[in-house]
Amino acid sequence: MSVSAKGVGMNIYKSVLFFVIALSVSAFAQEEGHLNVKTVVQKEEVTVNAAGERETRLVPAETVIPGERVVYTITFRNISEEPADNVVITNPIDASLTYVDGSAFGPGTEIQFSVDGGTSFAAAAELRVVEDGVERPANEDDFTHVRWVMQNDLAAGAQGMARFTAVLN
Amino acid sequence: MAPAVVLAVGTPVGTVIENTATVTFDLAGSPVTLQTNTTIVTVVERIDVNVTVQSPQVLVAASDTNQALLFRVTNTGNGTETFQLAINSALGGDDFDPVPAVPPIYFDSDGSGDFNVGDVAYTPGTNDPVLAADATVDVFLINDIPGGVANGETGLSQLTATSATGTGAPGTEFTGQGDGGVDAIVGTSGGEDLDTGEYLVSDVQVIIVKAQAVADPFGGTQPIPGATITYTITVEVLGTGTATASAVRDLIPTYATYVPASITLNTVSLTDAIDADAGEIDTSGAPTIVVRLGDLTAVAGIQTVVFQVTID
Repeated sequence: MSVSAKGVGMNIYKSVLFFVIALSVSAFAQEEGHLNVKTVVQKEEVTVNAAGERETRLVPAETVIPGERVVYTITFRNISEEPADNVVITNPIDASLTYVDGSAFGPGTEIQFSVDGGTSFAAAAELRVVEDGVERPANEDDFTHVRWVMQNDLAAGAQGMARFTAVLN
Repeated sequence: MAPAVVLAVGTPVGTVIENTATVTFDLAGSPVTLQTNTTIVTVVERIDVNVTVQSPQVLVAASDTNQALLFRVTNTGNGTETFQLAINSALGGDDFDPVPAVPPIYFDSDGSGDFNVGDVAYTPGTNDPVLAADATVDVFLINDIPGGVANGETGLSQLTATSATGTGAPGTEFTGQGDGGVDAIVGTSGGEDLDTGEYLVSDVQVIIVKAQAVADPFGGTQPIPGATITYTITVEVLGTGTATASAVRDLIPTYATYVPASITLNTVSLTDAIDADAGEIDTSGAPTIVVRLGDLTAVAGIQTVVFQVTID
């Protein structure tokens, strides 16, 4: 994991934080013994390389300002001896964030959204909301949750990922 | 000078955004639900400002003093920020340089939009405006107009608002200098914005001429009972300015009766009713012809209003 902190103090802080996360993840893994699951949050950092080209890379996000994009990545690995069926990853979209249209990504998954706080889910194009008594197609401002429905079993030892980008309001 | 996008108020500084994903699956026929770790992101301060001129072109004459241009300064960041204000009247792209008054910047303290005696002067470093996120302050630039400027000439004057925390390319970081000691990061405005107002030397002259033609029932031109009088009112604007919200109002003479549906504007008929078209006969008091000409300039040419009455 690359770290772009500016001070020594920050580096120490990050090391401690990552250590704690690593502990808690392994605790889950031991306890459940099924899937190893993890979320990371990153943001885009644009730099100019030696050739003068703009390069965008994802760096760990600790702070964010309005208008900035954050990228959430959920990874999961089947550490059991059995295939996992009906794998569904669900992620709430915080009220201070707006989903970036088209950003959800997950190999082998069908991507669905909720506009009712996670009660029901459907493909983005099928969702409708009622605003001021008038029904209209839902848009990214309306999404409260995103979820990824795996189309096939996750074999023993296999891993997958789900990702989306949101912008801070 | 592209106008900056004015954001609605952003997520407040210090907001903590936690995120936990849920993973559900079936293993050997048994449902399992797992939570991921929780990520934490903290919202820090974004420094942004927008300056937008509020005055349309201000019409002036040579040697006018204390001519005000109104601007609005908006804190488009998400924290509380102090801004420094500056005037520049020595700009290119105009015909003359307005002369900043002393002092040259005032707050619109009474919120009237007009420069009044009650408005408070800005003193840099003393009463720099402190704006909460999304808050605004209205500011006047006050200039005198030099003598000897000619009709149609323009002079520009510019207001700049600068974040006291600092400016720089978007992304520039001021560690620990945001609200509550968080980092402050420069947004798309660079922490500074400006806009420019314009003075136009303008003399507007409106010339109105009313003429009448009488047609009596016997084919003559005698103003006798039963004769029709056709009134023709012409309005002409001279000079470079704009005669705003121009309207013709003409009282029907007491000895006469308006001929229904006889109003025309530039030969186009107007209804008598008070409705969407430009004219009507207003009978709420003494019958009066009203034709609204709107904002007129010399370019519009002569406007001609015609209506008829019969002599009682």
